[in-house]
Amino acid sequence: MTSPPGSAPVVPKESGTTKTRRPLRRDGIWPWLFVAPLVGGVAVFYLWPIIQTAWFSLTEFGVFGGTTFTGLSNYQELFADPDLYKSIGNTLLYTVIVLLNIPIALVVASLLNTPGLRFAAVYRVLYFLPYVAMPTAVAMVWRLIFNGDFGLLNYVLGWFGIDGPYWISTPGAAVVAVSIVGLWSSVGFSVIVLGAALKQIPPELYEAAELDGASRWRRFRAITVPLVTPSIAFLSVVTVIAGFQLFDLLFAVLGNSYSNPTIYDSMSLVYMFYEAGFVTNEKGLAAAVAMVVLVLVALATLVQFRLQKKWVHVD
Amino acid sequence: MLTRPVGPRRNNIVVHLALIAGALVMMFPFVWQILMSLSTNAEVQSVTPHLWPHELQWGNYAEVFRQLPFLHQLRTSALITVIRVLAQIAFCTLAGYAFARMHFRGKGVMLAAVLSILMVPSQVYLLPQYQIVQDLGLLGSLTGLLLPGLFSAFGTFLMRTAFLALPAELEEAARLDGANPFQVFWHVMLPLIRPSISVLAITSTLWSWNELLWPLVVTTNSDDMPLSAGLATLINDRTVNYPVVLAASLLATAPVLILFIALQRRVIDGLATSGLK
Amino acid sequence: MNNNLSRRGILTGALGLGVMITTAACGGGGSDAGAEAADYTEPAADITADLTFSLWDQTQVEALQQNIASFQEKYPNIKVTISVTPFAQYFTKLQTQASSDTLPDLFWMNGPNFQLYAGNGKIAPITGPIEAGVIDPGKYPEALTTLYSLDDVQYGVPKDMDTIGVWVNKAVFEKAKVDLPGEDWTWQEFQSTAEAISKALSKDGIYGGAGGMDGQTTYYNTIFESGGEVIADGKSGYASAQSQQGISFWSDLIASGGSPSYAQLLDTTADQWFVSGKLGMYWGGSWFRSALSGTDIEDSITVLPLPRGARQATVIHGVANLVAANSRNKQAAHTLQAYLSGAQAQQQLGEAGSVIPAYDGTQRTFAESMPDANLQVFLDAVDYAVPLPVSADTAAWNTLETQLLPDAFSGAKPVAEVTADLASQMDAVLAKG
Repeated sequence: MTSPPGSAPVVPKESGTTKTRRPLRRDGIWPWLFVAPLVGGVAVFYLWPIIQTAWFSLTEFGVFGGTTFTGLSNYQELFADPDLYKSIGNTLLYTVIVLLNIPIALVVASLLNTPGLRFAAVYRVLYFLPYVAMPTAVAMVWRLIFNGDFGLLNYVLGWFGIDGPYWISTPGAAVVAVSIVGLWSSVGFSVIVLGAALKQIPPELYEAAELDGASRWRRFRAITVPLVTPSIAFLSVVTVIAGFQLFDLLFAVLGNSYSNPTIYDSMSLVYMFYEAGFVTNEKGLAAAVAMVVLVLVALATLVQFRLQKKWVHVD
Repeated sequence: MLTRPVGPRRNNIVVHLALIAGALVMMFPFVWQILMSLSTNAEVQSVTPHLWPHELQWGNYAEVFRQLPFLHQLRTSALITVIRVLAQIAFCTLAGYAFARMHFRGKGVMLAAVLSILMVPSQVYLLPQYQIVQDLGLLGSLTGLLLPGLFSAFGTFLMRTAFLALPAELEEAARLDGANPFQVFWHVMLPLIRPSISVLAITSTLWSWNELLWPLVVTTNSDDMPLSAGLATLINDRTVNYPVVLAASLLATAPVLILFIALQRRVIDGLATSGLK
Repeated sequence: MNNNLSRRGILTGALGLGVMITTAACGGGGSDAGAEAADYTEPAADITADLTFSLWDQTQVEALQQNIASFQEKYPNIKVTISVTPFAQYFTKLQTQASSDTLPDLFWMNGPNFQLYAGNGKIAPITGPIEAGVIDPGKYPEALTTLYSLDDVQYGVPKDMDTIGVWVNKAVFEKAKVDLPGEDWTWQEFQSTAEAISKALSKDGIYGGAGGMDGQTTYYNTIFESGGEVIADGKSGYASAQSQQGISFWSDLIASGGSPSYAQLLDTTADQWFVSGKLGMYWGGSWFRSALSGTDIEDSITVLPLPRGARQATVIHGVANLVAANSRNKQAAHTLQAYLSGAQAQQQLGEAGSVIPAYDGTQRTFAESMPDANLQVFLDAVDYAVPLPVSADTAAWNTLETQLLPDAFSGAKPVAEVTADLASQMDAVLAKG
């Protein structure tokens, strides 16, 4: 690790600025004024419903309202249901695949950040297209691409001698298919966020490193990656949270249960929630699923925050 | 040194090739959607897929305007989106700043509570929010439609992240000059996170623009629906005219896409002038 | 700001309580509503009301607006606001509204969801309008009026109807050099015809018949035709030998090669195969007619009745216009409901063409809409039609069907094993409800 002499003084300076901890200071009434509008609205429209849901998870909830307290019986029923573990597994698989959008986006964003690159704005728009497109329309196209007999994907795989599965009707493959769409549609947002972060890296760093003969890959690893870690951390937290909410996409790509029973093998946690709450009318059970989702995502987020203290480069 | 004039250019060709390959993958479904919106329903549903329509069916686009009060719904979408985006920017930057850079009792708990909103299935909010809006006497009104969307936990998190990344010196200096916290926020810190605000504007616009379940449930007159909900009414349970649905969704996406093209320049320009070197 | 927050907190707290109380009161509300509705009298022409009306099919709005326009010739001061919610979200919205006592005055209802709402006192019976003579249940297919009655109380009459038949692409038969079966054909003839076509045209990727995943258009019909039941007296009918035969019909068809494989049918649905000209015979509802217009195969279509098993049967279903039990404009709502059920409105609906009206004698327009396709089959089928099987919690066992039956269709498990499993799980769900 012989760091290029030119850049050496710059990098430590960047990180050095934050090492001076501010003395703990109380800001009086000001913080309350700042958070009041948001927290007020959030408390009424979002937190109160969560509290209600927590209560409902301990009750038998009538189809059109009316509750009977039943203690933990919804949770007992839920934890005894193999579907719960299946859906946790599917949700995790989906989330892990979609997380791949971050390294992909980092490569794209740094390519876009090449000094003097023409048409960068055009590329940025093209990569952002999937994020803008209407989910229902996108799913229709992907269903055609995934078609086992006539789909484009299997056609292309055929060039390499691979006999692709019936993607959206084969258990296992269906979750992967949905994840591919999720991955595809999330790259654009990450490119934007990482692009913004990359722009904040002073170009002198790269110039100095280049003069010292550092390869493109080495510059990427030694300068780019560390300096965008806060954005990577943000994206990974957001991706995991969103990944656990997988529902609409699953429905849109696989179709409803009438047209495609594979959805039962590919169900996500939120699908389980939806089915209990809105199809089979076990709203108490649905509330329990919602609470399980909350706890799992909260744990995943907490773990990430802890881990990030180790690897995130604080500015 | 001899290779310097040539090197970057050759490098850029490689970069372009890589970017074009990626862009093709990203674009393809979108391009196919355009082609299908110009096909007949039979072509779209054909067992062997048609990539190119036999005859371009521009009539599908006319059909959208025949079946939907498109411009009226577009106006509703635009109105609620503008109000929500402005409100989200105001509320989220204020709260995000406090969470990132101020010290107060219960901050951690409050932040966790706000984040927890993102962690439960969104349908959890449907019935309680509906009943709150009903209780406020706002069912079927524009206010009821846009109200819950004024507050964004995601936006708060995004703004907190942006403020966290700023160096402390600027703020300290302004405070020493006697500025109060709001003045520091408004004159010093807020301008520095303009690029992130653009990101928030893009994401909240998209969210509001595509929001489906809430507007469907809370509106009582089809004509008052935003476009996202209006589009969904084109999807019947039995027979769907897919090209018309696709045409409608492309028409609905266009304004957001244009907005993005405009904004992404500002993201870049904002970054260039923000003094973040 | 703090003040504001706590006020809202109290507000919503009180609201939550209110909901619980009102819904608790609704539990036994069914009979009250019945007594109340019995006083229906036809209103004076100058009655004033603002009605809300919810439905899920955008393509029928135009016809409904025509209906309302003629209705307003007599009742000019009854205004109607129409709200369209796509089917995928319709019942989520209706349930939200029912839970908050904000149901629209009039709304569409289907068979599978009817008993849930009627049983919980959410729907106003039409006992009054029937006694007043403005609605005559005798004018509609009997199977459909029973669909909308619960515990001997009538809550509505159908506004439209659909039955199931076999849509035939004659061009495929000609190409395969297979003779078109007659209208009195049997299960055997169907199976052998499907196999013959598939065999003859396998190199073109064309199949004779196709199974599907939707009970209404496929396996419910064969279960009824073999003398089985889906649900009877609150118990699953899947355990019976007849019902097993009804399921085997489809697994045999797939196993013989008469149909695309099960996986193929999930990727590309039977109607897609048919519209693309790759399928000879498609079991489909009368509603499928509108999907054919503008396709290449439109001119080579004919319809056959379902092939006969132990008996002849077809599933019939129809949508009804119902009035909310807590409507504030009940008299006006019933008046519009009665008008929409009557001969004049039904005739208008039929001429608009998207559905078959349910009122006796208004269906001819449908049969004439494809003169060469013998659509009369769907109307004649009313004579032997069986209502779509439903219960108080239809969705709960519908999900079991779609979850378990695929293993039977694909041949992954023996039919008897699957139906026995389905019967026991379904009985468990029914016992709970």
